[in-house]
Amino acid sequence: MPRQNEKMAYYPGCSMDGLGKAYQKSTEVVFRDLDIPMNRIKDYNCCGATEVKNISYDLSVFLPTRNLALAESMGAGTVIAPCNGCVYALARANKSISEDASSRQRLSGYLQEAGVPQYSGDVEVKHVLEVIRHSVGLDAVKARVSRPLSGLKVACYYGCLYTRPKTYTGAGMKEGKDNPEHPHFMDDLLQAAGATTVEYPVKTICCGGGHTIADREVSVGFSAAILNEAARAGADLVATMCPLGQVNIEMNISKITEQYGAEIIRPVVYFTQLLGLSFGHSRREMALHENISDANGVLKRMGY
Amino acid sequence: MPIHEKNLIEKEDLLEKEKAVVDGVDVSGRWNTFIRERLLSDYHEDFVEEVKSLPGGRTVTNCWQCGTCTSGCCLHTDYGLREFNPRYFIYLAQIGNVDELKKYGDVIWRCISCNKCVERCPKGVKVEEVVHNIDEVLRRRGVTEDTPGSRWDRTYLDNIMATGVLDELGLTLKYVRAEKPEDFTRGFMARMAVKIIRNGNIRTGPIRRRTRGWKKMKKVAEDILERDGYASAK
Ligand code: SF4
Ligand code: SF4
Repeated sequence: MPRQNEKMAYYPGCSMDGLGKAYQKSTEVVFRDLDIPMNRIKDYNCCGATEVKNISYDLSVFLPTRNLALAESMGAGTVIAPCNGCVYALARANKSISEDASSRQRLSGYLQEAGVPQYSGDVEVKHVLEVIRHSVGLDAVKARVSRPLSGLKVACYYGCLYTRPKTYTGAGMKEGKDNPEHPHFMDDLLQAAGATTVEYPVKTICCGGGHTIADREVSVGFSAAILNEAARAGADLVATMCPLGQVNIEMNISKITEQYGAEIIRPVVYFTQLLGLSFGHSRREMALHENISDANGVLKRMGY
Repeated sequence: MPIHEKNLIEKEDLLEKEKAVVDGVDVSGRWNTFIRERLLSDYHEDFVEEVKSLPGGRTVTNCWQCGTCTSGCCLHTDYGLREFNPRYFIYLAQIGNVDELKKYGDVIWRCISCNKCVERCPKGVKVEEVVHNIDEVLRRRGVTEDTPGSRWDRTYLDNIMATGVLDELGLTLKYVRAEKPEDFTRGFMARMAVKIIRNGNIRTGPIRRRTRGWKKMKKVAEDILERDGYASAK
């Protein structure tokens, strides 16, 4: 159970209310089953992702800071985000506030001008994966599993900005944070859910999602590498934890099939969808039909 | 000497011999490559100062050229785009060799912000941000042109500035219409749109979602952008 005095705010980020809706739905179910409260930040705004920083440093810090300030005014000491890009942008804002006095000063002026409450810089940023893995613990997850995912081989794909850089996220340094070079929280959870997770070399490679449309070659190349390595390791599915990564790989599947053949294609699902299945929920409840890639076939074959 | 990163040297400056004999000793094989003597005189010493003056580029002078960033870079090593070399871009920026940087105008933008370089840099250089700021200064000075990456960033920014939250479909349509990436054909877009609309997940165009109270934020954001020299598309 999360400690009572440690109120957590939930920052969905734009994708969870758009292309990543299936991730949102399955996360809600998993949170409910595990008694993790989901206190949404109302009227959040875009975190700026990795795009805004290439245009204006100040704006790229100001955007996420408004969300952190709203979380703090809800009385939260932690903000949970489901998207790697959001985790990065929020954590980067905290870092900027703590290490750079002049940026802190300008920021305080912007907040005041915009009528946003001032922000201390102290709200900790956590990924949904870290919250499920640590504030509840593996035993609580195991206790909730009613239909173990036995026989299912999963390649856990963490992507780039979940732990990176550790100087922003505290990965490997703070309690409850994953290892920055060899993350394993998703493997831990899906193993607790009864699945077999495979070892493969590109767990934390970039998926190319920042340039899905702007740089097709790179985005298709990375997505293909992830699917290819997962297939080589014998995985039935690839599990993700980031709406951008998920949608990027899925959108590239038709191109990858054309370029490299259908043998390396594996369906891609959110890790929360798999957890939900193991908790006894149906594929429909986990919104698996909403994914662009079709995992229903393989899951049905395995009896889920 | 065997030459590392041979790809960084212009072809006409490389002298390779099938068989090389120096002072009667056969040095063919690994030792048969030479670099022609060349003199560089056109340095822009203010270049690095300009990069450093941008908040994201502040750490550019911390770099001690160890190459850790390049060796792990997702683009350089995993993808294999050898001409993308963040260590080299930083070196050229430090010494102000703008002519050489110009040659990489259509390469630098391809950094996908995965931050592996920032994670691993032993000197606390925010490599990824520095690389983007080098690209920015090159474009500001008119040395290089807009790139697909810079146009993507702008389309993204304009999209979120309108309501405070991202309209993914609107952004995709706008960018695809302007840039026409080869495999985003009408058929492909239609198939994706059907799938997405059937899920009922997308609110785009006039019914897109908005952040309540965004107006006030927007005003402040516009002031910041103006001060940072950004002219909005609208
Ligand atoms: S890792 Fe850091 S110090 Fe080493 S070359 Fe790259 S930027 Fe410079
Ligand atoms: S952020 Fe850019 S420069 Fe750094 S490792 Fe990734 S692709 Fe390479």
